[in-house]
Amino acid sequence: MDKASHLSLILDISPSQWHLSASPSNAFPLSFKTFLSHVLTFLNSHIAAMHENSLAVFGALPGKSVMLYSSTDTAEGADVVAADPNAYRPFKLVDSLVMRNIQRELELLGDPEEEAPIALVGALTKALCYINRITHIPTGAATEDPAVLIDPRILILSVSPDLSSSYIPVMNSIFSAQKYKITIDVCKVFGADTVFLQQAAHLTGGSYIYLERRDALLQYLIMSFLPPPAMRQVIAVPKQDKVDFRAACFCHKDIVDIAFVCSVCLSIFCSPVPVCSTCRTKFPIKTLQRLNASRPSLPPSANGTPRPGARQNTPLATSLR
Amino acid sequence: MDPGSDSDLSLDEGNLTVRGRNKAARAKGIDPTKDKGKGKAKDQGYAWEANYTRSWDTVQEDEGGSLQGAVEELMARGRRRRLLAPAAAIRRTIIRHLILLLDLSASMMDRDMRPTRFDLTLEYAREFVTEWFDQNPLGQVGVVAMRGGIGERIGEMSGNPQDVLKALSERHKLEPTGEPSLQNAIDMARSSMSHLPTHSSREILIIFGSLTTVDPGNIFDTLQSCIKDKIRISLVALAAEMKICRELCDKTGGQFGVAMNEGHFKDLLFELIPPPAQRAVARTTGGGTTNPAADLMMMGFPMRLPDTSPPSLCVCHAEMRTAGFLCPRCMAKICDVPTDCDVCGLMIVSSPHLARSYHHLFPVKPYIAVMTLDNAPKPTSICHACSLPFKVQPAASVTDGMSPLGRYRCPTCSNDFCTDCDVFVHDVVHCCPGCEK
Repeated sequence: MDKASHLSLILDISPSQWHLSASPSNAFPLSFKTFLSHVLTFLNSHIAAMHENSLAVFGALPGKSVMLYSSTDTAEGADVVAADPNAYRPFKLVDSLVMRNIQRELELLGDPEEEAPIALVGALTKALCYINRITHIPTGAATEDPAVLIDPRILILSVSPDLSSSYIPVMNSIFSAQKYKITIDVCKVFGADTVFLQQAAHLTGGSYIYLERRDALLQYLIMSFLPPPAMRQVIAVPKQDKVDFRAACFCHKDIVDIAFVCSVCLSIFCSPVPVCSTCRTKFPIKTLQRLNASRPSLPPSANGTPRPGARQNTPLATSLR
Repeated sequence: MDPGSDSDLSLDEGNLTVRGRNKAARAKGIDPTKDKGKGKAKDQGYAWEANYTRSWDTVQEDEGGSLQGAVEELMARGRRRRLLAPAAAIRRTIIRHLILLLDLSASMMDRDMRPTRFDLTLEYAREFVTEWFDQNPLGQVGVVAMRGGIGERIGEMSGNPQDVLKALSERHKLEPTGEPSLQNAIDMARSSMSHLPTHSSREILIIFGSLTTVDPGNIFDTLQSCIKDKIRISLVALAAEMKICRELCDKTGGQFGVAMNEGHFKDLLFELIPPPAQRAVARTTGGGTTNPAADLMMMGFPMRLPDTSPPSLCVCHAEMRTAGFLCPRCMAKICDVPTDCDVCGLMIVSSPHLARSYHHLFPVKPYIAVMTLDNAPKPTSICHACSLPFKVQPAASVTDGMSPLGRYRCPTCSNDFCTDCDVFVHDVVHCCPGCEK
């Protein structure tokens, strides 16, 4: 590990999901407080791994995304943090700034009747813009070594279910990450598998890990997400299980596995439509009749539910075991 | 087209006419193979029979003795050629599948093209791939090499230009040696495209520097199976024209060209970048009255099984495999996507493959340059996306469309962004961090 790496961490701060996660009816309850202490330890290890390592922390809140900490913009926050003789200054700085900002944002959130959807896309695009900013050093500072920052990566700690309405923005973010060789890692801390984040990790060469023992979060983080992508080829990190390549339809924002696609603009529809809503193309009536006849008799299961048998083995695979 | 390219266009057209006539001959029902010798003899069919045109004569100096005008005209001509192409309403293939077949035989070490044929081919192939993905964002490219009498898979079919470029950049792994085998390499390319759905385009582009081919069987059988599979073969020869090469291209509807110099080589390659017009597909259920190009297709999005899953039989090869894709309708296991399911016939595609084009459909609204902060009640001090602090002092001189404060505001969510993020959001991410759309 001779080169510095950059880590952008995206925390999914959804009050309702964290409430569910902490409830003792779960097999391994994990409260937001314990979660944060694990995450801060992980962040400290990232800084400690190498002096030049840079860090940015983003929070995805209901309807809002904020930057909680970044190692380049700490000047204004540094004076607020009191010096502590018993703590290493950089650790102390990260911990107290992240905690203070989360607290501030949660207080700003108030007590709304209904929780707005989580602004994961906002946080993801902000992380991409931030990486773009730090990797493209302005021409004025050309004296700096351009190879200082390689291996930028984004780690998403997700607790919320898939937001099917944000299918296109998520895909666009994935493609830009792919273009800039940014690895997206996903750790699903709570809740069902998310289809889009699975695809994100798969397409950018990151790993998607579903947390089974949630009390061992820190171990998962350190063993699989601390080594930068260049190192992971050498050490064996837990790999992704399955990748679900489903998409969200444009008409109802449902996540579908069999869809009808316009041949002109490739828009996805969950049922045969006479006119494409995106490019206004009219489809031949014979096609519609044929497709309606060949549709599966059972309507697809409810919105966004996991694919039947997604976590078990498929009939074909099991029968051959 | 790059300004350094100094090919002559006249010969190019000569090639085109020859091909056109052969097609016409076929249309009339005359066997083109019989007609060919005669047709060739009548006018310049082979590169070495063409009138020698001095490429430097086509470039004219202007009054001041400068070549600037001539170069600009050449570049403009290249652009115009590209613009003129899609004028007629022909259906073009949007999802292309191309196998790049590189000759890595000993003859590629010839130095008639500088520095060597091999180095030049690699350099142009990389430029070709970059440009190809720019114009065909939904396409997929694989790389196969012919060397030592066999076909070698260098890069798997991939929609990510980085993967293909990586395969082409490892020069030490591609060292030319031995004899080329057209048949082996084409068979390998054909088999790696065999799973594709019936209506998708399949193309092979061969860069061939040798004058021989060492084949284990009858190459005409391979040609017939390529015609049957509707694979379009294009070939750029670096040495000279071989009959089999022209035959491969003519019979499959591809383009054939012999590169005369470095610039012409590049031109021949880059002519193959724009999507080809799709062949008229015999429609079993044609609408007739409505636009035949538009149709609704039923597609399935599969689930990918990891390498660690228990092995099971795949329906395409009937072999025990661990990794694979599951058809969402019949749960059959398939080795590659996109494909038609062998059991239920459903077209199976990976959804990210489709999603690559969506940013054209839903572009981000252009941001408005903020001229003054007077009517903003509480301006933020940092860029909404990257948290870069904004300039406090407005710049003295501003050009049109630029904000003196370096602030660009989204018309939908009214957040301010810096110059870099404005460019990055519109050119790369295609999603506004403020409104998440």
